[in-house]
Amino acid sequence: MKHFTEEEMIAHYYSEGFSKAEAERHLQACPQCAQAYADLSKLLGSMPASDLPLRDSEYGAQVWQSIQRSLQPYEPKQKRRFYWPRFAYAAACLLFLAGAFRAGRMWEHAHSKPLVAGAEQQTKQRVVLFVLDSHLDRSERLLVQLNHAGGEADDVDFRLQAEAQQLLSDNQLYRQSAAQANDPLLDAALDHLERVLVEVANSGSELTSRDIASIQKEMNTPGLLFQIRVLRARVSEPRTNAHAIPKGANT
Amino acid sequence: MGNDDYMLIRSVLAGEKDAYGLLVARHSQSVFRVAFRITENEADADEVVQEAFLRGYRKLQDFDARSNFGTWIYRIAMNCALDVLNKQKSQTVVPIAQDYDSELPTVQLADRAAGPDRLLLSQEIETRRHAAMGKLTPTERVAFVMRHMEDHSTEEIAGALGIAPNSAKQAVFRAVQKLRQSLAPLWVRS
Repeated sequence: MKHFTEEEMIAHYYSEGFSKAEAERHLQACPQCAQAYADLSKLLGSMPASDLPLRDSEYGAQVWQSIQRSLQPYEPKQKRRFYWPRFAYAAACLLFLAGAFRAGRMWEHAHSKPLVAGAEQQTKQRVVLFVLDSHLDRSERLLVQLNHAGGEADDVDFRLQAEAQQLLSDNQLYRQSAAQANDPLLDAALDHLERVLVEVANSGSELTSRDIASIQKEMNTPGLLFQIRVLRARVSEPRTNAHAIPKGANT
Repeated sequence: MGNDDYMLIRSVLAGEKDAYGLLVARHSQSVFRVAFRITENEADADEVVQEAFLRGYRKLQDFDARSNFGTWIYRIAMNCALDVLNKQKSQTVVPIAQDYDSELPTVQLADRAAGPDRLLLSQEIETRRHAAMGKLTPTERVAFVMRHMEDHSTEEIAGALGIAPNSAKQAVFRAVQKLRQSLAPLWVRS
């Protein structure tokens, strides 16, 4: 019989993850898991929120009094007055220009479709791979710094957090793209990376060596670094090939 | 309620500043609740409430009409509370002991209910619970508070923290694991 992991028990406590009925059946059948789950429930059940101090019905008014002086009123939006004849003339000109531009594009497209489509595709792919490679390169450098920083005795100031915050927003975009492109390896690595970046970015203004050691241990940053290096090798390979294709196509 | 809120927001954006006072009155209790849960300090929570409504006012033009103002200001309050935690963490000079050991001369968090009954077990539990919460990272702490005390789903936590659902789930797991390490011995003993 396969026992519950701690994560599964926590997920079950919060009614997440997997079938509640199935979990209940297992807990009834497995005394070991039932005991562990009872301990967990007892612990979490003993963690009510600390007593909430009361705030009376005037609290909102007090908050408003304390902040209202520092608020500037918004300026109402001016209603726009249109001068119809002039507007109609400008719109007609714009329409004509747009039509002419579109006709030109369609003509050009019809005469050079296969070549342009292929070239555009390759260019787009090269740009995507270049940007991703650059992101992975920055992430790799951050992880190397992180892995080397854990052993230091004093507080560490590598501006890691600023870099992590920048990488975090980019990483969220790449991860979503990887998920949409159905690339599970890249998706998993970027997800792992995101969790590390979140911890580093949110660790306060001074990241101590103790914080770093904890992140390294809990989030297996050396393993993540290896994953990133493998991905970089994978990403830079098609980039090299992508460079090679146009040369062949021209000859 | 949501529709009323939107009408008030439109009034504020049209220049009627006082309409925001009604939004503050309506939502200040729930914002205070989450601020206190995260900071566990009344003064800090009051500060968070004020800062959240100030930020909310300044960002009101960006408010999406399809959203719920209560949820929106709640998220802003959470971020303000996170900032307070980060600020406190950076100002901490003496680290809190990693593991409780009555024989080690460690620094405990301030006891807000000091008195002769401090030795009672319930107070000891509260002190250790407070210390254990203090050992969580800001992300873990917010994720745990939202999950355990405010009963939000993983998706809501992820949305509020701006992270992936899986990261939010992991943050809750890590928080529970750390709390377990800190508090389990107490239960065995008691």
